[in-house]
Amino acid sequence: MSKNIKLISIVLFTLFSFFVLLKGLDKSNIYSPKIKESNIDFNFKAKYLFSEEEVFLNELLNNEGMSLINIWASWCLPCRNEHAYLLNLKSLNKLSIIGINYKDDEKNAKQFLIELGNPYTNIITDPRGINSIELGAFGVPETYLVDNKSKSIIQKFIGPLDDEAFAKLTKIIQ
Amino acid sequence: MYGKKVKLRAIFILSIFISLILISFLIIKSLEENVVYFKSPTEIKVLSEITKKKIRVGGMVKKNSIDINESEVNFVITDFKNELIVNYKGSVPNLFEEEKGVVAEGFLQDRNYFKAVKILAKHDENYMPPEVAESLKEN
Amino acid sequence: MVNQLGNYSLYIALLISIFIIIKTSLSFKNSSVVLSGNIFSLISVQSLMIIISFLTLIYAFVTSDFSNETVYNNSHTAKPLFYKISGTWGNHEGSLLLWLLVLTIFLFFFAIDSKNLSQRYRTLTLFFQEIIILGFLLFILFTSNPFTNIFPIPTEGTGLNPILQDPALAIHPPMLYLGYVGTSIIFSSALGAIISGSINKSWASHIKRWVLISWIFLSIGILLGSIWAYYELGWGGFWFWDPVENVSLMPWLCLTALLHTVFSLEKRGTFQSWAIILSITTFSLSMSGTFLVRSGILNSIHTFANDPSRGVFILCFLFVLIFISIFIYFFYQKTIKVDSTKTFLISKETAVLINNLFMMFFLSVVLIGTIYPIFLEVINNEKISIGPPFYHKLIIPFLIPFLFFMAIGPNIKWIKDKIEKINSKQTFLFLISIIISYFFVNKYGVSYLLSLPLFIFSLFLFFVTIKDFFGKNINISQKISHFGFSLLILSILLNGVLAKEHSSNMRVGDEIKFLNKIIKFQNTEVIKKQNYQSLIGEFNIVDEKNSLSLKPEIRIYDQPQTITSEADISSTIFADNFLVFNIIKNDGFYNVRYQIKPFMIWIWISVLLISLGGILSLKKKNV
Repeated sequence: MSKNIKLISIVLFTLFSFFVLLKGLDKSNIYSPKIKESNIDFNFKAKYLFSEEEVFLNELLNNEGMSLINIWASWCLPCRNEHAYLLNLKSLNKLSIIGINYKDDEKNAKQFLIELGNPYTNIITDPRGINSIELGAFGVPETYLVDNKSKSIIQKFIGPLDDEAFAKLTKIIQ
Repeated sequence: MYGKKVKLRAIFILSIFISLILISFLIIKSLEENVVYFKSPTEIKVLSEITKKKIRVGGMVKKNSIDINESEVNFVITDFKNELIVNYKGSVPNLFEEEKGVVAEGFLQDRNYFKAVKILAKHDENYMPPEVAESLKEN
Repeated sequence: MVNQLGNYSLYIALLISIFIIIKTSLSFKNSSVVLSGNIFSLISVQSLMIIISFLTLIYAFVTSDFSNETVYNNSHTAKPLFYKISGTWGNHEGSLLLWLLVLTIFLFFFAIDSKNLSQRYRTLTLFFQEIIILGFLLFILFTSNPFTNIFPIPTEGTGLNPILQDPALAIHPPMLYLGYVGTSIIFSSALGAIISGSINKSWASHIKRWVLISWIFLSIGILLGSIWAYYELGWGGFWFWDPVENVSLMPWLCLTALLHTVFSLEKRGTFQSWAIILSITTFSLSMSGTFLVRSGILNSIHTFANDPSRGVFILCFLFVLIFISIFIYFFYQKTIKVDSTKTFLISKETAVLINNLFMMFFLSVVLIGTIYPIFLEVINNEKISIGPPFYHKLIIPFLIPFLFFMAIGPNIKWIKDKIEKINSKQTFLFLISIIISYFFVNKYGVSYLLSLPLFIFSLFLFFVTIKDFFGKNINISQKISHFGFSLLILSILLNGVLAKEHSSNMRVGDEIKFLNKIIKFQNTEVIKKQNYQSLIGEFNIVDEKNSLSLKPEIRIYDQPQTITSEADISSTIFADNFLVFNIIKNDGFYNVRYQIKPFMIWIWISVLLISLGGILSLKKKNV
């Protein structure tokens, strides 16, 4: 009898640790979905990748409709994989795609676009990564669908775009 | 003879039991004393009272805020919402730079002023300590 | 192409693994299943396959084959050859492949080594070991395959984190893994032995070797990691109680307890169940170590961002193994034949028991300190960290009685002994220790309360082990290890108490006074190296008698762009002079830290002595 109690208590304890660790695993890696998306500040100045001029992100979001903000870098491998989706989106010609080049070497970034094609309407640079963090980004790539008028994020895609995200995006734009 | 054996055994189990309790008590007590809580500048602003205990503060080193003289380093930690002035004597790790993530360990003097005893090192420039990432994210 | 070779050999190894598991699982029911020669050759083929895939990966790294994703992410053409090779296991995928490699090689040697033991036991051990191998194969193939291709092929890789480009760190992971993975054999063998009911003295003398091997590698692995932290992290410390360091210490503590228990089991047939529990725990701790480091759950300066799905896999696998072993332990417990020989209170058995109790205490302290923050964050959403004072407060007071028992324990006989054995010689040595410690503490005005007794008892152990070297019939390996331990505590203590440090911000040409020395920042010089630029500072440290020139470096790596500081350390047998400097801002100020660390080198030497004891014990045929 006492043997059973021992067994059960050990098993229960192990199960408990298992679930705590499982939950902890979840926790340390979440990209918070609770971020107050309407409060995001698009009003920062950054340099264009292809010129020396500076521009406010806000100014790029001036027309009617929606824009897609894509945070990318040439050193980021998943960005390579999602590039085809961005090119596809560009060919739909429905929205402007703004690239934020995150902590990158400009030469490498340009090389990357020559190699794989340039889907972006405008590209601004974020050499320190601060602006991207202010947008709420925690990794590259991340993609936000933004409503230009209200300056709010409609949809956030964390990690590289895939078939599912692409389908969702095209559905919203249509 | 048999009785003696049982008695010995009982004493043995009892003493193990007692020492287990004592040890757990000891561990819990020192845990309480030595835990270092992690706060962001915003959390510090809303603290009901200034703790005397050692804490860690994380955030970004504010641009143009590092000020160095012979004996100390002063800088400002920000989470883009609130700021905290940090005073530190001692050596800083690599990658301690303006506009980079930082974790400082030390004591709060008041809600705006922090005396650090240690600045924590990081391995990777692209890597942000999970606690810093989280505290920046919350704001 | 070559890439595919590595990939296919992993799949072949997977098939072999499944086949062996099915085949050997028959022996659960039927105790007469005999290990045929076929199975043995299958194991050899499996090891060969994994060696091939590992070599393939090394080849991909050496030739900078960037069509391989792992190589692309972790290497660069401008990297020196040595770091291209060590880059193979300097990343997640490659390090897992190394785990697997060691797993299979250990199994291979186990199969050879256990030829004279019962067939049923061998078969069962093989079964459990293959389950572990299968788990890792699945893990590698489906969540972290090192042979993933990228297309189009990039022209250049992204580089290895410069801080990992260090000779100590290049051999540190293999050493640590040899220790970690060695415990897998102990685990499988303990489960095999409990089911086949063969936990006895001969099992003990057989498994003892495996315990020793893992223990030696683990000790050296920890030592290397600590040396690396000493000169690379720039703090001048050698142990930070960082969670990542703790997870390597925990299996070591458990393994040390097991080592003593196995000696006792071998000689006297006692503590059978305990040995099994320890074997299971040791391996679980090694696996949790891998889990905690690899999953990114730990809040440590060493962990790197990681993919959560990997963590879930290791976690589930770890707990499946733990559950299997708990159930096996409870259901087959009755096979343990209790040896009914009497044991008395004053005997070597008791000494071993005391050692184990202390080890378990140290283990729980480290374990709680490591995982409590994780638990608290999950349950309470409170972010905390636990610093060195927690460990110091709990471990140091208990070290004092521990050292005392360590001094007298080994001289007690098995079964029964008399208390009068603590004879005049030992009392004399104890008095000497007290006197020396007293004068020492007086002279240096050490204020810390516990350092006096700690000093007395470690000095006592030091003298007793030295005295024992001249005794008759001595167990030389044990004496060396225990002597090493006393030396370790002594040097850590002296190092901690007598260390002096000064840090300040200096410009070129500045001079500062520190103790009786003058530190002068002479100049800086920039040198271009293969994959980094080096900014070398020249410092002169002058006192009345001599002058010393130290040249620490700041390295600015190109790929990826990172700054690291290399301390310049001048070591003598008495003390290390440690100097490191850092750029804070580009305004001429450098952050300079100068430290005098007494007896630093003896810390490394004493750990080597501890391991040497293990190696000598391995060589002995039958003691």
